[in-house]
Amino acid sequence: METTTKTGTLVEAEELLRARTHSPLVPLPIEVRGPEPNRQTPAVGQRTTRPDARTHGLGQTKYIDDFYVPGMLYAKIKRAGVASARITKVDTSEAEAMPGVVAVITGKDIPVNSFGPSLKDQPVLAHERVFHAGDGVAAVAAVTEQIAADALEKIKIEYEEFAPVLDPLESLKLETPGVHAPSANIYGHKLIKKGDIEKGFAESYRIFEASFRTQMVEHVPLEPHSSLAQWDANGRLTIHSTLGRITLGRADIARTLGIPMSRIRIIATVVGGNFGGKNEITTEPVIGMLAKKTGRPVKCTFTRPEEFYASTTRHPIIMDYKTGVTKEGKILARKVRLVLDGGAYCSWSETTLGKACILCAGPYEIENLVAEAFVVYTNKTMTGAMRGFGAPQVCFGYESHMDDMAKALGIDPLEMRLRNVLKEGSLSPTSQALHSVVVKESLLQAAKRFGWNVQGAGQGQGALP
Amino acid sequence: MRAFEFYAARNASDAVALLAQHGPKVKVLAGGTDLLADLKFAAASHHPQVVVDISRADDLRGIQMTDQGLRIGALVTHTEIMDSPIIREQLPALVDAAHTIGAVQTRNLGTLGGNLVTAVPSMDSGPTLVALDAIVTVAGPEGKRQMPIVQFWVGPRKTILKTSEILVDIIIPKENVGKPTHFLKFGLRKGQALALVNVAASFHVDGNTFKAPRIGLGAVAPTVIHATSAESFLEGKPITPENMAEAGKLAVNDAKPINDFRASATYRRDLIAVLTRRALEGAYELHRKREAK
Amino acid sequence: MVRVSLTVNGEKRDAEVPPETTLLRMLREAFNLTGAKLGCDVGDCGACTVIVDGKLVNSCLMLAGQVDGRDVLTIEGLATADNLHPIQKVFEEKGSLQCGFCGPGVILSAKWLLDQNPDPSVPDIRDALSGNLCRCTGYTKMIEAIQTIARERTV
Repeated sequence: METTTKTGTLVEAEELLRARTHSPLVPLPIEVRGPEPNRQTPAVGQRTTRPDARTHGLGQTKYIDDFYVPGMLYAKIKRAGVASARITKVDTSEAEAMPGVVAVITGKDIPVNSFGPSLKDQPVLAHERVFHAGDGVAAVAAVTEQIAADALEKIKIEYEEFAPVLDPLESLKLETPGVHAPSANIYGHKLIKKGDIEKGFAESYRIFEASFRTQMVEHVPLEPHSSLAQWDANGRLTIHSTLGRITLGRADIARTLGIPMSRIRIIATVVGGNFGGKNEITTEPVIGMLAKKTGRPVKCTFTRPEEFYASTTRHPIIMDYKTGVTKEGKILARKVRLVLDGGAYCSWSETTLGKACILCAGPYEIENLVAEAFVVYTNKTMTGAMRGFGAPQVCFGYESHMDDMAKALGIDPLEMRLRNVLKEGSLSPTSQALHSVVVKESLLQAAKRFGWNVQGAGQGQGALP
Repeated sequence: MRAFEFYAARNASDAVALLAQHGPKVKVLAGGTDLLADLKFAAASHHPQVVVDISRADDLRGIQMTDQGLRIGALVTHTEIMDSPIIREQLPALVDAAHTIGAVQTRNLGTLGGNLVTAVPSMDSGPTLVALDAIVTVAGPEGKRQMPIVQFWVGPRKTILKTSEILVDIIIPKENVGKPTHFLKFGLRKGQALALVNVAASFHVDGNTFKAPRIGLGAVAPTVIHATSAESFLEGKPITPENMAEAGKLAVNDAKPINDFRASATYRRDLIAVLTRRALEGAYELHRKREAK
Repeated sequence: MVRVSLTVNGEKRDAEVPPETTLLRMLREAFNLTGAKLGCDVGDCGACTVIVDGKLVNSCLMLAGQVDGRDVLTIEGLATADNLHPIQKVFEEKGSLQCGFCGPGVILSAKWLLDQNPDPSVPDIRDALSGNLCRCTGYTKMIEAIQTIARERTV
């Protein structure tokens, strides 16, 4: 709480708000008070029930796929199924002729066929080029979901296939063909330098090197992505969607459909699990176009397989650690290189890259540090936001590395950590002064609770007797 | 799901007649836990024109003792096996095997016959029935025929069933009802996991020696198999921990495990040795518990 | 088309649906009972769980034609807002549901379990819920809730 007075910002804000409450023109509905030192909010320790618990339990909460609007059509999206290719021929005539099919669109029907939370590198529907197997290449609106699905099989698309770039380390090399040529495969980079890394290594008793990899992970929200688009009589578009970030999504929908944001209303109901996987648009512009073309409401719900190959996933990271330590296990220097597999599109890679890079030193005081992170394109399912934004991956890396070093040095792994943990006032890798630091206390408490000091506790039980 | 015609059979002969009538592009629906999941995502070329629902053919149900042995109707669900007093008493290994299949919802729908007909090498019903030398009855337009269960499967997802034939029942021969048997499954988690390896061991205790030892191995060959060299090694040998461990090692050579995304062949071989030994120990433990009573 | 007559939540209902219609689709689209959800469509996630003739099943794995003449209970048949089923009440108090998508299935699985076994152990509860995937809250608070109900009932 001391920090508030030190930085002054919260106090200033408080004064500002007080000043505003005195103004008769801008009355605030409630008294706003700044935090009081050493006084915990009364909310802690209170029991409460979720306001939505009642309808959840009754099965009356309405998720997007639970909505039906009279006249509604069902949309399905044809997926490329090839990782890297040029589309040479598209024939939708047979699908369009099917009874029950009301409209078919392809990439050429999207007014501005690119979007993304930071880089606008993602097409709504692939046009000319396919960058990963889950790319949508055409979409159908039909009177039933099954007719729409059947129609996808009647759409004939010819491809000129290219050798896909699948390995992020290959992608990192300058001679590797660009996934999005002429753009480079490295589309995000961060470098953090602190202290004198060479000096730190020179003074080290031992230097350990290790490499770790994590895999791609899908969020698997229990509720698949779903959205429902309808245009009203005045030419305004309303989209019910599982979208978690509706304002950002609204901007992307406006961009891709080429209409002002003011003509778009997004209604996000209760979401059946997001975990970062529903933070950007997926099918919204597609159904917006289909609804426009047909003049009817259109709904699209992902199948479970689509959740895996057509939505974002967690970045796999290849982590190379080099750490110099004293005989007692104190870390003197650490060098880390992270290569994030970005998949086919940027999505939230920049945020993930930043977090992973800042956190890759772990909760340890390391005076001499170099951390460098790259994110590269590959012809795979795109990676994006997922709980922790890169933090879980590097945690696996630095903690595994710590265990290996502790073992090699003959130091208890808990003790090794206690000798290095961040303390009150320690500087983070980016030289942020840290406060309310309780790493040591947390570790000791945890060790006590799971009986770390008990003989044999915490030892691997994996071997079959 | 794509369209198909739907016919419900009233009994086994009705089912056979419907199958014969509708020819090769027909699928049989029993519990539906595999069939419906497949139909939703299979290619159009694999989609049936007709689905014959046998789930109401009551002559394919029931668990009872007959002159031949313990008859389990093909439509008996995994839950019914778990709840059957005679199976719980005589062949608890079948209860354990049924319990590892899917979850409550799928066990309430899924049938023993359906599990066998899928002919998936990792099926959890397979090893125990193999270890018990179960006989299966198949009915077709020409009548019924019976065969040892291992002859029912010819490869992954392939059985000897012709298009107009159905599996009627599974019979545990009389002499094996009550035979000490133990089933073990190793999956990557407890609930709803496919077996990396599943094993059942069964033998009679003759003095202190193995009599008619049988070991069924699943998920380690194109079909569920007998560990024949382990079986012949144990025949007549004293029941000792060393012999059980040796049988485990021999069972490894009876299998042809593959590398896949769930586990390596090497890992599966290790599992076979350990699980076979433990299954033999489990069967012996059951025998001793019964003796103690 | 397949003609189906059945009892849903105590009411006689009829429907005429294409043969490939699953019980789940019939409930959601023909009867507007959207409490059962489509999560995976292959019987893994349990979001579509309903009770048919007293048996807990995945409604995505049954065809509409198979429930002709049967008795189906969905989450909507369990209670009303001011007259909650004890499971719903305790789930609410314990915060057992977060996004709620798995909730209807989990609550029906809990009901089925408690109908079979009034005093389930933690392993019994885990086993009964192993067909219901939850991606938010985890299972701890659901298990706590089910134990609480069992205790309250036995007192």
